[in-house]
Amino acid sequence: MKSKRSVFDRCIDGIKASLTFAFVAAFTLSVVLPLLWMTLTSVKASPEIFASPWGLPKTPHWENFSNAWKSAGIAHYFANSLIVTTATLVILIPIGAMAAYIFARYPFKGSKLLFGTFLGGMVFPQFLVIVPLFALMSSTHLLDTKIGLTVVYIAYSLPFTIFVLTGFFQTLPKDLDEAAIIDGCSHSRTFWQVMFPLAKPGLIVVGIFNGIGLWNEYSLALVLANSEQNKTLPLGIANLAMVMHYSGDWGALFAGLVIVMIPVLIVYWIFREKIHQTMLAGAIKG
Amino acid sequence: MRNRGRTAFIITYLAPAVLIYAVFVIWPVLQAFGFSMFKWSGLSQNKKFVGFDNFKQLFHDKIFWVSLLHNAWIFLFGGSIILLVGLGIAHAMQGEGKFTKALRSVYLFPNIMSLVVVAVLWQFIYNPRMGLLNSFIELFGKQKQRFDMLGTPGTALPGVIITFIWYAAGFYIMLFAAGIRQIPEEVVEASKLDGAQGFVRFKKITLPLLWSVGRISLVYLVINTLNVFALVFLMTTGGPDRKTEVMLTYLYEQAFVNSDYGAATALAVANFVIVMAVSGLILRITRKNPVGEVR
Repeated sequence: MKSKRSVFDRCIDGIKASLTFAFVAAFTLSVVLPLLWMTLTSVKASPEIFASPWGLPKTPHWENFSNAWKSAGIAHYFANSLIVTTATLVILIPIGAMAAYIFARYPFKGSKLLFGTFLGGMVFPQFLVIVPLFALMSSTHLLDTKIGLTVVYIAYSLPFTIFVLTGFFQTLPKDLDEAAIIDGCSHSRTFWQVMFPLAKPGLIVVGIFNGIGLWNEYSLALVLANSEQNKTLPLGIANLAMVMHYSGDWGALFAGLVIVMIPVLIVYWIFREKIHQTMLAGAIKG
Repeated sequence: MRNRGRTAFIITYLAPAVLIYAVFVIWPVLQAFGFSMFKWSGLSQNKKFVGFDNFKQLFHDKIFWVSLLHNAWIFLFGGSIILLVGLGIAHAMQGEGKFTKALRSVYLFPNIMSLVVVAVLWQFIYNPRMGLLNSFIELFGKQKQRFDMLGTPGTALPGVIITFIWYAAGFYIMLFAAGIRQIPEEVVEASKLDGAQGFVRFKKITLPLLWSVGRISLVYLVINTLNVFALVFLMTTGGPDRKTEVMLTYLYEQAFVNSDYGAATALAVANFVIVMAVSGLILRITRKNPVGEVR
């Protein structure tokens, strides 16, 4: 009797396991297949792309990548993205860390309110401010400049940066900075020579996280820096897609998509554990 | 004496962040509410105070209601599928098999990609001349005419919703997976001893304990679906015939095509209020865990 039931149970378990497997497999394929297809298409010649979406190219057309890089202007957009992203991070991280350090270690009257005001920036939609921001940038002649875009990126990355770094500074033992102060270090020397270096893991996480977001950013750049000269990579690719939609070098366009994606995937792959933790912390608190 | 140094230190270290944030975030937010009360076209200096006229106009604007309806569809259809898939995959992902490990490393890929890449990629997947979709349909027999998903009024919005699900699901899987991991081992063990199996265990143990994660997910879905922009703008620009128009693509058109800044800002404020109201409502409705707090 008992063994009969367990045979039946095993049978049910088997069916359940295969259903679960089918569900998970279908999901995984739906994530991976489009990405594989994109990569495959990026090394095919245009006639091959039309002939069959899954056909392999006779020989891989690596020239698609050099065409995208040179003739389609991806190199220029890539450089713009690199400049804006790097400049943002280089300024954002120190000033974010400075503010976070104050919030974590030097509470004052109203500091909670100020911290809350910063955190509020993590949830409200950017389009609420898009018109006033556009007007502000236009009246200060920062519209359509890399400097203007950088400053806006800094401003809109501050909430998340301060949120993560404040949490990080709070986890560092208090004895360290207290000892430094007692030894006669000034507040700022304590920060730059003791606490800032200790916060390196936190700074790296914040840098990676903001870096990916800025590298991918589209909406603000579309409104604030849309000339050929200042277009970042996402804008450049979007433009290329529009121009090439009906005719043109589709292989090169797909190569362009791969070029945008690769740096992000590499960084994600290296730091995926940290990225998960940070996304979660941000998501659940925010 | 030490106190004076302290105050100066606090001020100098907060100043850069506070200044940039105040000028480029706080000030525009405050202005947004003001701008929505002005008739203001082009970047001219002539603004005319019109009170709530922009909002009255918006209220009678059919395109606005159509856009809002499309946002609602994306929330209802996209959101419910995302919740189901998110919950299911997060649940299935708990094991230690090789396959689940592989899944754990790829499920977040779409979410960290640029929306531009996602939008262009899916435009080509749906492309009638060479896309994956048509080659898939042809597996089941040759058709007379190739199917143009995004160009056909009836299927354009579903096309966008599918892409949205593909892009966004990973984030919710991550939330649910974290929620499941927080369920104490003892509770799971006890339920096993009590004979709670598979789906019963999922319903009686996993689901109630995920209540708070579920609430957070719902609020994120409200925010993300009512604020869809780049995906729609890049895939269809709201077309064909406004069949995929959403609030923010319409806002973009009003502001940067029609240069009607007053109307655009009123729309932005309305969008903000709607998001806040719906999120608040959802948090209120779901405040009470029907199974009781299990902490």
